[in-house]
Amino acid sequence: MGNDILVLAQHQDGAVKKPTLECLSVARALAAATGGKVLAAALGPGAAKAAADLGAWGAASVLVGEGPALAKYSSLRWTRVLAGAVAKQKPAALLTSTSALSRDLAGRLAARINGVLASDCTKLSAAGGRFTLERPILAGRALVTASHGGDRPLVATLRPNVFGAEKPAQAGACATETLEVTEDAADLRVVVKEVATVKSERPELSEAAIVVSGGRSWGSADGFKPVFDLADALGAAPGASRAAVDAGYVPHSMQVGQTGKTVSPVLYIACGISGAIQHLAGMRTSKYIVAINNDPNAPIFKLADYGIVGDEFEVVPALTAEIKKLKEG
Amino acid sequence: MKIAVCVKQVPSTTAVIRVAADGSRLELAGVETVVGPYEEYALEEALKVREKNAGSTIVVVAVGGEEAGKALTHAYALGVDRAVLIQAPDADAAAAAACAAGFLKAEKPDLVFCGRQAIDDDQWLFPGALGEALDLPHVTAASTFELAGASATCKRRIEGGEEVIEVKLPAVISCEKGLNEPRVPTLKGRLNAKKMKVETKSPADVGVDAAKLAGGLKIERYAPPPEKSPGKRIEGKAAAEAAAELVKLLREEAKVI
Ligand SMILES: Cc1cc2nc3c(=O)[nH]c(=O)nc-3n(C[C@H](O)[C@H](O)[C@H](O)COP(=O)(O)OP(=O)(O)OC[C@H]3O[C@@H](n4cnc5c(N)ncnc54)[C@H](O)[C@@H]3O)c2cc1C
Repeated sequence: MGNDILVLAQHQDGAVKKPTLECLSVARALAAATGGKVLAAALGPGAAKAAADLGAWGAASVLVGEGPALAKYSSLRWTRVLAGAVAKQKPAALLTSTSALSRDLAGRLAARINGVLASDCTKLSAAGGRFTLERPILAGRALVTASHGGDRPLVATLRPNVFGAEKPAQAGACATETLEVTEDAADLRVVVKEVATVKSERPELSEAAIVVSGGRSWGSADGFKPVFDLADALGAAPGASRAAVDAGYVPHSMQVGQTGKTVSPVLYIACGISGAIQHLAGMRTSKYIVAINNDPNAPIFKLADYGIVGDEFEVVPALTAEIKKLKEG
Repeated sequence: MKIAVCVKQVPSTTAVIRVAADGSRLELAGVETVVGPYEEYALEEALKVREKNAGSTIVVVAVGGEEAGKALTHAYALGVDRAVLIQAPDADAAAAAACAAGFLKAEKPDLVFCGRQAIDDDQWLFPGALGEALDLPHVTAASTFELAGASATCKRRIEGGEEVIEVKLPAVISCEKGLNEPRVPTLKGRLNAKKMKVETKSPADVGVDAAKLAGGLKIERYAPPPEKSPGKRIEGKAAAEAAAELVKLLREEAKVI
């Protein structure tokens, strides 16, 4: 095994996602410790376009896989192609961000390359031939610090927004190499037939820098509007508690928590959310937490950096107005 | 149709988790445990498939210690045909997948249902690793499942949308909330479960070398989530005033907007 760090880039038609830039930043720090290089792999339509950005963010070389065989994500094909790349490059670690894609891929890929998986890490470093990482377990009710060294590559997924992305002042030369992808009918045992995307101007919940969530107390789908308004004023992603989802105010895709999405934005604003343990599971690693609740004893206040004790129906629109004033001012 | 379900007994979602003072372990003795919520969807889906396909059988497998037996008793109470415990109390997710695969290789199921993640270690490792070990395709976090002959169609939520996935059987399907409404055991089912015997096996019985069960991540220490110092609270102010004060704090102190 070598000492390079391979980053699997996640991108949309060549537009590299921000959590991938965080992975590259982490990879640079790791490679400095292991004495290796930062490598990246980009698969699917737009991969060649993504390569330039990956280089600018510190990848010394990018493996590019495009063409009809990689037109759509397929766990078996991605596993086969990446396992081939790993066999050739022999990285000490493979990093990618925690996402729907890596949730599907990482377990299989780690098994295929005889790697050791650490999912949804919130810390990762290298020293003395070992990687040390931290990850939340039991829905954030405990943190585990674990280490890994030896012959098997580490496969780590990194929680978005936790590590931060820093662009190198000067990027070195970046080579690109084309991955030859062959068809294999066995890959087609599982295929994505269709991707139905909900077109939205709003940022994606699990990647957003700011999240504004509402709870059951908003009373109805229409009643939820002030939460959307505040989110839009801030350019934030709107989220919700399970109680609001179960009551049918908003779709499940907006649910934050143990049975919903895990978010870790810079700013999380909980509007009329009590702060049940299962909700906290999905947002407790947010950098700043704001709670707006009329119950001064609501558990969410225990986690909040800033809180307003007051009526959400008054406070949230007032906040929206204040933000708009700021942006226009 | 032969259906397999993999289940795990885990600390309940609301249980308070204590970490030993020296950080060496979690103090789980006496903590209430439940069948993993996602495994509940897996069990329900298996029961639904059996109902629709006469002559089908369900075998449920758990890898773990004595506590895991509770998940299997629960499965019997729901009316599954056979329950097997592979005794490996210290198995991590990769080791559990290896043990389950060792057992299922010989069983040759048409369908394997499991949860999208075990809610204790939160690794999301098991379904993909199991699929890989059995050389079967896997679907992660299916929120719908429709069987049509030798293949199935599932939906899976992704960022900003949903995938429609077609998978050929045999396959491993990990289950997501929304897939179904898990039934609760009837009284008769619970009584029946008492008469049913859980088969126990060792990793060696299913062809897994016990020495190979270790060797993954080395746990260094556990810690409770960091305590937060009490935040600033704005109380007893008119909404506009409170909002202005908060925005000022977010801008000037936290510098996040
Ligand atoms: C297995 C399992 C999984 C779960 N997964 C999740 C999950 O993923 N995500 C999740 O969120 N929950 C989850 N839950 C549910 C969780 O336990 C809570 O029931 C839920 O989070 C509560 O949502 P809520 O805060 O909107 O509602 P409530 O708990 O009812 O709280 C409403 C809050 O609104 C406040 N309020 C009311 N009126 C006003 C007002 N006018 N102004 C200001 N504040 C007001 C109240 O003071 C209260 O704090 C799960 C539960 C289980 C058992």
